Amino acid sequence: MESAGHQPVLIIVTLLISAFLSPLLYRWRKFLSGMVLLAALTGAFVTALTLLGQVARSGELSYYLGNWPPPWGIELVIDPLRVYMLLVVTGVSLWIFVYALRDLEHELHHDVIGWYYSLYALLVASMSAMTLTNDLFNLFVLMEICAISACAIITIKDKRECLEAGFKYLIMSAMGTGCFLLGVAMIYMVTGYLNFSFIQTGLAAALSEYPLNIFTAAALFIVAFGTKAALFPLHVWLPDAHASAPSPSSAMLSGLVIKIYAFALFMIFYRVFPRSLLDAIPLNEIILWLGAMGVMFGSIYAMLQTDLKKMLAYSSIGQIAFIFMGIGLDQPLALTGGLYHIMVHAFTKSMLFMSAGAIIYSTGVRRISDLAGIGRVLPIPLLAFTIGSASMIGLPGTGGLISKWYLALGALETGRIFFLLVILASSLLNAIYYMPIVINAFMSGDEFKEKVKTVPPSMQATLVVGILLVVISGIFSRQIIVLFEQALTSLY
Amino acid sequence: METVSRLTENYFYLVAIILFVIGTHTMLTHSNMIKKVIAMNIMDSSVFLLFVAIGYTHGAQAPIIRDGADIVYANPLPGALIVTGIVVAVSVTAYALSIIVKIQRSYGTIDCDEICELRSDD
Amino acid sequence: MLEDQIVRITSRLVAPFIQVYGIYVILHGHLSPGGGFSGGAIFGASLVLIALSFNLEAGVKQISHQTASVLESGGALGFTVTGLIAIALGGNYLANRAAGFPLGEAGQFFSSGAIMVITVFVGIKVASTITTLFYNIIEKETPHGNSKQAD
Repeated sequence: MESAGHQPVLIIVTLLISAFLSPLLYRWRKFLSGMVLLAALTGAFVTALTLLGQVARSGELSYYLGNWPPPWGIELVIDPLRVYMLLVVTGVSLWIFVYALRDLEHELHHDVIGWYYSLYALLVASMSAMTLTNDLFNLFVLMEICAISACAIITIKDKRECLEAGFKYLIMSAMGTGCFLLGVAMIYMVTGYLNFSFIQTGLAAALSEYPLNIFTAAALFIVAFGTKAALFPLHVWLPDAHASAPSPSSAMLSGLVIKIYAFALFMIFYRVFPRSLLDAIPLNEIILWLGAMGVMFGSIYAMLQTDLKKMLAYSSIGQIAFIFMGIGLDQPLALTGGLYHIMVHAFTKSMLFMSAGAIIYSTGVRRISDLAGIGRVLPIPLLAFTIGSASMIGLPGTGGLISKWYLALGALETGRIFFLLVILASSLLNAIYYMPIVINAFMSGDEFKEKVKTVPPSMQATLVVGILLVVISGIFSRQIIVLFEQALTSLY
Repeated sequence: METVSRLTENYFYLVAIILFVIGTHTMLTHSNMIKKVIAMNIMDSSVFLLFVAIGYTHGAQAPIIRDGADIVYANPLPGALIVTGIVVAVSVTAYALSIIVKIQRSYGTIDCDEICELRSDD
Repeated sequence: MLEDQIVRITSRLVAPFIQVYGIYVILHGHLSPGGGFSGGAIFGASLVLIALSFNLEAGVKQISHQTASVLESGGALGFTVTGLIAIALGGNYLANRAAGFPLGEAGQFFSSGAIMVITVFVGIKVASTITTLFYNIIEKETPHGNSKQAD
């Protein structure tokens, strides 16, 4: 494996440095603090793009922290899938941050905005590092950083619902990381390694000798990542946390944070567990059924909500389950769909939360029933909401169609018609709860009654960018699908 | 009989798992938030105990290099990992406690059930 | 806080020794068990002890809120910058010998290159973090108050 340049670590370090600087800078130059983070995020995104070029040229690369080769040191690995995830993380967080610059002034007390920037940078840094790391214990530490900063961007809004939701989230994710660490201990016990690649060979050899340890570890990993990514029966923390948070935080949490854990589970399944383990116990089958249940129940719960952001939060439970279904079907086409859905849902759900944020910013309305006729006063946010809904349902021309299409193909390929029906039914359910809002907003005869504040241009612009992203991901998907196909053939 | 002898040989696994279950159970069922945080620490400590126990070698010494003698050292890696784990647990605990202080200020209670009742009145 | 003469006099007597011990643990992190976190925690505990046995004002006099948070960011920044220096010297991030930091002779005080620098920064960071955490938890009211109204 070739060694990469210093880009992977520079992405993480730049974000960390801006995290440490922003509270200091914010004390005397408020404007500069935001700009530093904006520059850091842009830098991270551009560096990730150069990594993409490098990977396309020379295949898998690795970077040894402190010049210690594995298994002794921490290794960062840069392969096409990780770079894809890194691009999604840095790109989407940059995009959300442009929106957050204006929205935060309205949602938070001005004393804490500097700290918010710091937490935001920490969150992005930990997520970027989670995509690149090839070390289990490093993954644990990054998961904890990610969990604390994700909770903190909820509780930073000093309202009682946020505090309670944040505490619930913290306790659940502490349970998740506790389980994960116990699983790591079990694996370290039988293999003596923490590096993904070394564990994979070690586990294959140890499977016949210590099956119980390894099975327990696998179960613990499913619980850990299931809790963190809100897989169906472990989702209870999500609706409160995502609905009560400030809108940029909701966009970040629903758009990226839950997905990074789904991606981590994917990595654990295909880079840590050997094939023989996946064949020995029906891990994929468990994930598949939980995912199918999540798809259905998430949509059903979402239909019952009266609060706009709560509805979007429940819808996230249904959508994240699609990604798990992709892993569960254990088949290249379905995995393609699942991985593509990571990006599509990151674009779509972030945009939906941002348009909900724009509605709350300008009118203060949160109840779905009060949105009648709002489309005529706030055209751009509601247009974004419409496109987002279309992508959630999976209408042609949006990214949602592509990921569901590949998932459905995967289900057909493995002969699991039931799961094809689940995917179709969930599209129908999504239409049932998204479409009335859109129709009501544009077609309703009632005039919109509340006072309306103009939405700042930077927020409008981010929403327009979101519309473009969702549509582009629906039309020009070929390049990324080819990238997946090449990367996924190496797994089978 | 064989199971019993395996358990007595590896009693630390059993102790760690019992502690872990106690922690998880208390964390998820008790409604007092402080108790939840204490349980979280018990749970984390149980994993730390297990990890340190993995690195223990019978009759081995602390891994500090001394001249000459042919000494068996304990595996230092689990210890190093657990120090990191403890740091993480400390920060999570501190953060959880500060949220509890704020919750107490705005709700007037730190009992989850009472908070649920308060919220249903809203 | 406690209003007890014995506790106050004892803690005032003991605090400097705890601090010296904390610095010792930080500086000998590469030679013996201990290091940045343990030493920083010991040092921070001495400041917490003063704030506990006297009152918050006495603690804040030792190290103010402002200084503590600057030290926090500074410690973390120092850590990352030390890693970047290794890149500038031609190694990978956080490299030590590979980047050409002088290692000295094993067992001597200066025998760990960049590790000691990093340990000192970690110690600063941990000590200031522990004090800020403690101050923040025992403070009466947050500066911007509690907003209970729903939006």
